[in-house]
Amino acid sequence: AVCSMAVAEKSTKERLLCALDNLEVLARELIEMLALSRGQKLPQPGEDTQVLELLVQRDRDFQDLMEVAQQQGKVHQEMQLLEKEVEKRDSDIQQLQKQLKEAEHILATAVYQAKEKLKSIDKARKGSISSEEIIKYAHRISASNAVCAPLNWVPGDPRRPYPTDLEMRSGMLGHMANLPTNGVNGHLPGDALAAGRLPDVLTPQYPWQSADVSVGMLPPHHGNDFGLEPPGHNKENEDDVEAMSTDSSSSSSDSD
Amino acid sequence: MAVAQTKQEKEGEDCSLLPLVHDIIKCMDKDSQDVHQELAKLKAKIQEAREQISAMPGIDSSPAEQQQQLATLREQVRTKNQLLQKYKSLCMFDVPKAS
Repeated sequence: AVCSMAVAEKSTKERLLCALDNLEVLARELIEMLALSRGQKLPQPGEDTQVLELLVQRDRDFQDLMEVAQQQGKVHQEMQLLEKEVEKRDSDIQQLQKQLKEAEHILATAVYQAKEKLKSIDKARKGSISSEEIIKYAHRISASNAVCAPLNWVPGDPRRPYPTDLEMRSGMLGHMANLPTNGVNGHLPGDALAAGRLPDVLTPQYPWQSADVSVGMLPPHHGNDFGLEPPGHNKENEDDVEAMSTDSSSSSSDSD
Repeated sequence: MAVAQTKQEKEGEDCSLLPLVHDIIKCMDKDSQDVHQELAKLKAKIQEAREQISAMPGIDSSPAEQQQQLATLREQVRTKNQLLQKYKSLCMFDVPKAS
Protein backbone atom coordinates (compact mmCIF):
# COMPACT_ATOMS: atom_id res chain seq x y z
CA ALA A 1 0.00 0.00 0.00
CA VAL A 2 2.88 2.36 0.87
CA CYS A 3 4.53 1.61 -2.43
CA SER A 4 1.47 2.48 -4.44
CA MET A 5 1.27 5.97 -2.98
CA ALA A 6 2.26 8.93 -5.09
CA VAL A 7 3.41 6.76 -7.94
CA ALA A 8 3.91 9.66 -10.30
CA GLU A 9 6.42 11.36 -8.00
CA LYS A 10 8.49 8.25 -7.37
CA SER A 11 11.48 7.25 -9.36
CA THR A 12 11.26 4.09 -11.40
CA LYS A 13 13.93 2.53 -9.22
CA GLU A 14 11.88 3.02 -6.09
CA ARG A 15 8.78 1.66 -7.78
CA LEU A 16 10.67 -1.40 -9.00
CA LEU A 17 12.09 -2.13 -5.57
CA CYS A 18 8.63 -1.71 -4.05
CA ALA A 19 7.12 -4.02 -6.64
CA LEU A 20 9.82 -6.56 -5.94
CA ASP A 21 9.17 -6.35 -2.19
CA ASN A 22 5.45 -6.87 -2.86
CA LEU A 23 6.19 -9.86 -5.03
CA GLU A 24 8.41 -11.36 -2.37
CA VAL A 25 5.73 -10.90 0.28
CA LEU A 26 3.02 -12.37 -1.91
CA ALA A 27 5.17 -15.34 -2.95
CA ARG A 28 6.01 -16.06 0.68
CA GLU A 29 2.36 -15.73 1.65
CA LEU A 30 1.26 -18.11 -1.09
CA ILE A 31 3.92 -20.70 -0.25
CA GLU A 32 3.11 -20.52 3.46
CA MET A 33 -0.58 -20.82 2.69
CA LEU A 34 -0.03 -23.86 0.50
CA ALA A 35 2.31 -25.49 3.03
CA LEU A 36 -0.26 -24.95 5.75
CA SER A 37 -3.09 -26.37 3.66
CA ARG A 38 -0.91 -29.39 2.75
CA GLY A 39 -0.16 -29.99 6.45
CA GLN A 40 -3.77 -29.75 7.49
CA LYS A 41 -4.82 -31.64 4.42
CA LEU A 42 -7.66 -29.12 4.10
CA PRO A 43 -7.90 -27.48 0.77
CA GLN A 44 -8.82 -23.80 0.88
CA PRO A 45 -9.44 -23.12 -2.76
CA GLY A 46 -10.70 -19.55 -2.37
CA GLU A 47 -7.85 -17.79 -0.54
CA ASP A 48 -4.82 -19.25 -2.27
CA THR A 49 -6.36 -18.61 -5.68
CA GLN A 50 -6.84 -14.96 -4.73
CA VAL A 51 -3.27 -14.66 -3.54
CA LEU A 52 -2.07 -16.44 -6.67
CA GLU A 53 -3.99 -14.08 -8.94
CA LEU A 54 -2.61 -11.13 -7.05
CA LEU A 55 0.90 -12.56 -7.40
CA VAL A 56 0.42 -13.02 -11.15
CA GLN A 57 -0.92 -9.49 -11.42
CA ARG A 58 1.99 -8.00 -9.44
CA ASP A 59 4.45 -10.05 -11.45
CA ARG A 60 2.98 -8.63 -14.66
CA ASP A 61 3.20 -5.12 -13.24
CA PHE A 62 6.79 -5.81 -12.31
CA GLN A 63 7.51 -6.97 -15.86
CA ASP A 64 5.91 -3.84 -17.27
CA LEU A 65 7.91 -1.69 -14.91
CA MET A 66 11.10 -3.48 -15.95
CA GLU A 67 10.17 -2.71 -19.54
CA VAL A 68 9.77 0.96 -18.60
CA ALA A 69 13.15 0.82 -16.86
CA GLN A 70 14.74 -0.65 -19.99
CA GLN A 71 13.28 2.19 -22.04
CA GLN A 72 14.53 4.70 -19.51
CA GLY A 73 17.96 3.15 -19.84
CA LYS A 74 17.87 3.82 -23.58
CA VAL A 75 16.70 7.36 -22.99
CA HIS A 76 19.52 7.72 -20.48
CA GLN A 77 22.01 6.73 -23.19
CA GLU A 78 20.53 9.33 -25.50
CA MET A 79 20.77 11.90 -22.73
CA GLN A 80 24.41 11.08 -22.20
CA LEU A 81 25.06 11.63 -25.89
CA LEU A 82 23.22 14.92 -25.69
CA GLU A 83 25.23 15.95 -22.64
CA LYS A 84 28.42 15.25 -24.55
CA GLU A 85 27.06 17.34 -27.38
CA VAL A 86 26.29 20.17 -24.98
CA GLU A 87 29.81 19.97 -23.54
CA LYS A 88 31.27 20.11 -27.03
CA ARG A 89 29.13 23.09 -27.94
CA ASP A 90 30.10 24.78 -24.69
CA SER A 91 33.78 24.39 -25.44
CA ASP A 92 33.17 25.67 -28.99
CA ILE A 93 31.38 28.70 -27.62
CA GLN A 94 34.12 29.34 -25.11
CA GLN A 95 36.72 29.08 -27.84
CA LEU A 96 34.75 31.52 -29.95
CA GLN A 97 34.36 33.85 -27.01
CA LYS A 98 38.10 33.76 -26.44
CA GLN A 99 38.75 34.58 -30.08
CA LEU A 100 36.25 37.41 -30.00
CA LYS A 101 37.94 38.83 -26.89
CA GLU A 102 41.29 38.69 -28.66
CA ALA A 103 39.81 40.38 -31.70
CA GLU A 104 38.25 43.02 -29.50
CA HIS A 105 41.60 43.69 -27.88
CA ILE A 106 43.37 43.96 -31.23
CA LEU A 107 40.67 46.23 -32.60
CA ALA A 108 40.67 48.39 -29.49
CA THR A 109 44.42 48.85 -29.85
CA ALA A 110 44.06 49.63 -33.54
CA VAL A 111 41.28 52.13 -32.87
CA TYR A 112 43.34 53.80 -30.15
CA GLN A 113 46.33 54.09 -32.45
CA ALA A 114 44.17 55.39 -35.27
CA LYS A 115 42.68 58.00 -32.97
CA GLU A 116 46.13 59.08 -31.91
CA LYS A 117 47.12 59.34 -35.55
CA LEU A 118 44.02 61.38 -36.34
CA LYS A 119 44.83 63.66 -33.43
CA SER A 120 48.32 64.26 -34.72
CA ILE A 121 46.98 64.77 -38.24
CA ASP A 122 44.51 67.29 -36.90
CA LYS A 123 47.23 69.00 -34.92
CA ALA A 124 49.47 69.12 -37.96
CA ARG A 125 46.63 70.58 -40.02
CA LYS A 126 45.94 73.29 -37.50
CA GLY A 127 49.57 74.37 -37.40
CA SER A 128 50.16 73.70 -41.05
CA ILE A 129 53.06 75.41 -42.74
CA SER A 130 54.00 75.05 -46.34
CA SER A 131 57.20 73.26 -47.18
CA GLU A 132 58.16 76.24 -49.30
CA GLU A 133 58.09 78.45 -46.24
CA ILE A 134 60.31 76.07 -44.35
CA ILE A 135 62.79 75.98 -47.20
CA LYS A 136 62.76 79.76 -47.36
CA TYR A 137 63.39 79.95 -43.68
CA ALA A 138 66.23 77.45 -43.93
CA HIS A 139 67.75 79.55 -46.66
CA ARG A 140 67.41 82.66 -44.60
CA ILE A 141 69.17 81.11 -41.69
CA SER A 142 71.95 79.60 -43.73
CA ALA A 143 72.45 82.63 -45.99
CA SER A 144 73.32 84.77 -43.01
CA ASN A 145 75.92 82.25 -41.88
CA ALA A 146 73.81 81.54 -38.86
CA VAL A 147 74.38 77.80 -38.83
CA CYS A 148 77.68 77.41 -40.62
CA ALA A 149 80.63 79.72 -41.15
CA PRO A 150 81.66 80.49 -44.74
CA LEU A 151 84.28 78.18 -46.22
CA ASN A 152 86.91 80.86 -46.35
CA TRP A 153 86.33 82.00 -42.82
CA VAL A 154 89.36 83.13 -40.86
CA PRO A 155 89.59 84.41 -37.31
CA GLY A 156 88.23 87.88 -37.08
CA ASP A 157 85.67 87.38 -39.83
CA PRO A 158 82.32 88.51 -38.38
CA ARG A 159 80.39 86.13 -40.65
CA ARG A 160 80.03 83.26 -38.32
CA PRO A 161 77.39 80.98 -36.85
CA TYR A 162 75.27 82.16 -33.98
CA PRO A 163 75.68 83.42 -31.43
CA THR A 164 77.88 86.26 -32.60
CA ASP A 165 79.28 88.82 -30.35
CA LEU A 166 76.33 91.03 -31.17
CA GLU A 167 73.78 88.45 -30.17
CA MET A 168 75.65 87.69 -27.00
CA ARG A 169 75.60 91.36 -26.13
CA SER A 170 71.99 91.91 -27.01
CA GLY A 171 70.93 88.85 -25.03
CA MET A 172 70.05 88.63 -21.37
CA LEU A 173 73.56 87.73 -20.31
CA GLY A 174 74.98 90.75 -22.12
CA HIS A 175 72.56 93.07 -20.38
CA MET A 176 73.21 91.50 -17.01
CA ALA A 177 76.94 92.00 -17.39
CA ASN A 178 76.23 95.58 -18.40
CA LEU A 179 79.19 95.55 -20.65
CA PRO A 180 80.38 98.78 -22.20
CA THR A 181 79.48 98.94 -25.84
CA ASN A 182 82.52 100.78 -27.13
CA GLY A 183 86.23 100.12 -27.28
CA VAL A 184 86.02 96.46 -26.52
CA ASN A 185 87.03 93.83 -28.99
CA GLY A 186 85.30 91.12 -27.08
CA HIS A 187 86.67 87.68 -27.53
CA LEU A 188 87.86 88.01 -31.10
CA PRO A 189 91.48 87.05 -31.52
CA GLY A 190 93.35 90.28 -31.03
CA ASP A 191 96.66 89.00 -32.36
CA ALA A 192 95.27 88.54 -35.84
CA LEU A 193 93.96 92.06 -35.79
CA ALA A 194 97.19 93.42 -34.38
CA ALA A 195 99.27 91.70 -37.03
CA GLY A 196 97.09 93.26 -39.73
CA ARG A 197 96.95 90.02 -41.63
CA LEU A 198 93.33 90.28 -42.47
CA PRO A 199 92.30 91.61 -45.85
CA ASP A 200 90.49 94.92 -45.81
CA VAL A 201 87.20 93.31 -46.50
CA LEU A 202 87.49 91.00 -43.57
CA THR A 203 88.78 93.55 -41.16
CA PRO A 204 86.44 93.28 -38.23
CA GLN A 205 84.11 96.12 -38.15
CA TYR A 206 81.64 95.49 -35.44
CA PRO A 207 78.23 96.96 -35.63
CA TRP A 208 78.40 98.17 -32.10
CA GLN A 209 81.54 100.12 -32.93
CA SER A 210 80.01 102.12 -35.68
CA ALA A 211 76.52 102.04 -37.03
CA ASP A 212 77.64 103.29 -40.44
CA VAL A 213 80.17 100.53 -40.99
CA SER A 214 77.83 97.77 -39.92
CA VAL A 215 75.38 98.46 -42.67
CA GLY A 216 77.57 97.04 -45.37
CA MET A 217 78.91 94.12 -43.37
CA LEU A 218 76.06 92.37 -41.76
CA PRO A 219 72.95 91.09 -43.37
CA PRO A 220 70.05 93.39 -42.75
CA HIS A 221 68.14 92.74 -39.53
CA HIS A 222 70.86 90.46 -38.36
CA GLY A 223 69.73 90.97 -34.83
CA ASN A 224 66.26 89.77 -35.61
CA ASP A 225 67.51 86.45 -36.90
CA PHE A 226 68.87 85.59 -33.53
CA GLY A 227 65.36 85.40 -32.22
CA LEU A 228 64.33 82.99 -35.01
CA GLU A 229 60.98 84.57 -35.53
CA PRO A 230 58.76 82.70 -37.89
CA PRO A 231 58.90 83.80 -41.47
CA GLY A 232 56.61 86.57 -42.46
CA HIS A 233 57.14 88.28 -39.15
CA ASN A 234 57.50 91.63 -40.80
CA LYS A 235 57.70 93.14 -44.19
CA GLU A 236 61.46 93.37 -44.27
CA ASN A 237 61.81 89.69 -43.56
CA GLU A 238 59.43 88.82 -46.30
CA ASP A 239 61.44 90.73 -48.81
CA ASP A 240 64.56 89.09 -47.59
CA VAL A 241 63.01 85.66 -47.82
CA GLU A 242 61.73 86.38 -51.27
CA ALA A 243 65.19 87.30 -52.43
CA MET A 244 66.69 84.13 -50.97
CA SER A 245 63.93 82.01 -52.30
CA THR A 246 64.76 83.25 -55.72
CA ASP A 247 68.35 82.31 -55.09
CA SER A 248 67.46 78.88 -53.90
CA SER A 249 65.14 78.21 -56.76
CA SER A 250 67.79 79.25 -59.20
CA SER A 251 70.38 77.13 -57.45
CA SER A 252 68.11 74.14 -57.26
CA SER A 253 67.28 74.46 -60.91
CA ASP A 254 71.00 74.59 -61.61
CA SER A 255 71.57 71.39 -59.75
CA ASP A 256 68.88 69.73 -61.74
CA MET B 1 -3.24 -24.53 -13.45
CA ALA B 2 -2.99 -20.76 -13.61
CA VAL B 3 0.68 -20.82 -12.56
CA ALA B 4 1.52 -23.13 -15.47
CA GLN B 5 -0.28 -20.87 -17.92
CA THR B 6 1.53 -17.87 -16.57
CA LYS B 7 4.79 -19.68 -16.98
CA GLN B 8 3.99 -20.25 -20.64
CA GLU B 9 3.13 -16.60 -21.10
CA LYS B 10 6.22 -15.32 -19.38
CA GLU B 11 8.57 -17.72 -21.06
CA GLY B 12 11.70 -16.01 -22.12
CA GLU B 13 11.39 -13.20 -19.61
CA ASP B 14 14.15 -13.75 -17.11
CA CYS B 15 12.94 -11.30 -14.50
CA SER B 16 9.67 -13.08 -13.73
CA LEU B 17 9.49 -14.83 -10.39
CA LEU B 18 6.55 -17.02 -11.38
CA PRO B 19 8.55 -19.94 -12.85
CA LEU B 20 10.44 -20.30 -9.58
CA VAL B 21 7.21 -20.08 -7.54
CA HIS B 22 5.76 -22.70 -9.85
CA ASP B 23 8.76 -25.00 -9.26
CA ILE B 24 8.36 -24.60 -5.51
CA ILE B 25 4.65 -25.48 -5.66
CA LYS B 26 5.45 -28.52 -7.79
CA CYS B 27 8.03 -29.69 -5.26
CA MET B 28 5.50 -29.17 -2.47
CA ASP B 29 2.93 -31.21 -4.40
CA LYS B 30 5.44 -34.01 -4.72
CA ASP B 31 6.59 -33.57 -1.13
CA SER B 32 10.05 -33.37 -2.58
CA GLN B 33 13.06 -32.40 -0.49
CA ASP B 34 14.13 -30.10 -3.29
CA VAL B 35 11.71 -27.51 -2.00
CA HIS B 36 14.41 -25.90 0.17
CA GLN B 37 16.69 -25.67 -2.78
CA GLU B 38 13.95 -24.06 -4.85
CA LEU B 39 13.20 -21.62 -2.03
CA ALA B 40 16.88 -20.65 -1.95
CA LYS B 41 16.75 -20.13 -5.71
CA LEU B 42 13.78 -17.79 -5.30
CA LYS B 43 15.60 -15.82 -2.62
CA ALA B 44 18.71 -15.59 -4.78
CA LYS B 45 16.61 -14.52 -7.73
CA ILE B 46 14.98 -11.75 -5.72
CA GLN B 47 18.38 -10.55 -4.45
CA GLU B 48 19.76 -10.64 -7.95
CA ALA B 49 16.81 -8.60 -9.19
CA ARG B 50 17.41 -6.02 -6.45
CA GLU B 51 21.06 -5.67 -7.46
CA GLN B 52 20.10 -5.45 -11.10
CA ILE B 53 17.60 -2.69 -10.34
CA SER B 54 20.18 -0.77 -8.32
CA ALA B 55 22.65 -0.96 -11.18
CA MET B 56 20.20 0.05 -13.91
CA PRO B 57 21.05 3.41 -15.44
CA GLY B 58 18.57 6.21 -15.90
CA ILE B 59 15.88 5.05 -13.48
CA ASP B 60 16.57 7.54 -10.72
CA SER B 61 13.73 9.66 -12.02
CA SER B 62 10.24 8.94 -13.20
CA PRO B 63 9.68 8.60 -16.96
CA ALA B 64 7.92 11.98 -17.02
CA GLU B 65 10.82 13.70 -15.27
CA GLN B 66 13.27 11.98 -17.54
CA GLN B 67 11.37 13.13 -20.61
CA GLN B 68 11.47 16.65 -19.27
CA GLN B 69 15.23 16.42 -18.73
CA LEU B 70 15.62 15.03 -22.23
CA ALA B 71 13.61 17.90 -23.68
CA THR B 72 15.72 20.39 -21.72
CA LEU B 73 18.92 18.84 -23.05
CA ARG B 74 17.63 18.86 -26.61
CA GLU B 75 16.67 22.49 -26.20
CA GLN B 76 20.14 23.29 -24.86
CA VAL B 77 21.84 21.64 -27.81
CA ARG B 78 19.49 23.44 -30.19
CA THR B 79 20.09 26.84 -28.58
CA LYS B 80 23.86 26.37 -28.52
CA ASN B 81 23.86 25.24 -32.14
CA GLN B 82 21.84 28.29 -33.08
CA LEU B 83 24.21 30.55 -31.19
CA LEU B 84 27.23 29.06 -32.92
CA GLN B 85 25.56 29.32 -36.31
CA LYS B 86 24.69 32.91 -35.60
CA TYR B 87 28.27 33.78 -34.69
CA LYS B 88 29.64 31.90 -37.68
CA SER B 89 27.36 33.66 -40.13
CA LEU B 90 27.74 37.03 -38.47
CA CYS B 91 29.73 39.42 -40.65
CA MET B 92 30.53 42.09 -38.17
CA PHE B 93 33.79 43.18 -39.76
CA ASP B 94 32.45 44.73 -42.94
CA VAL B 95 35.24 46.65 -44.56
CA PRO B 96 34.00 50.17 -45.24
CA LYS B 97 34.21 51.09 -48.89
CA ALA B 98 36.83 53.67 -49.65
CA SER B 99 35.06 56.84 -50.74
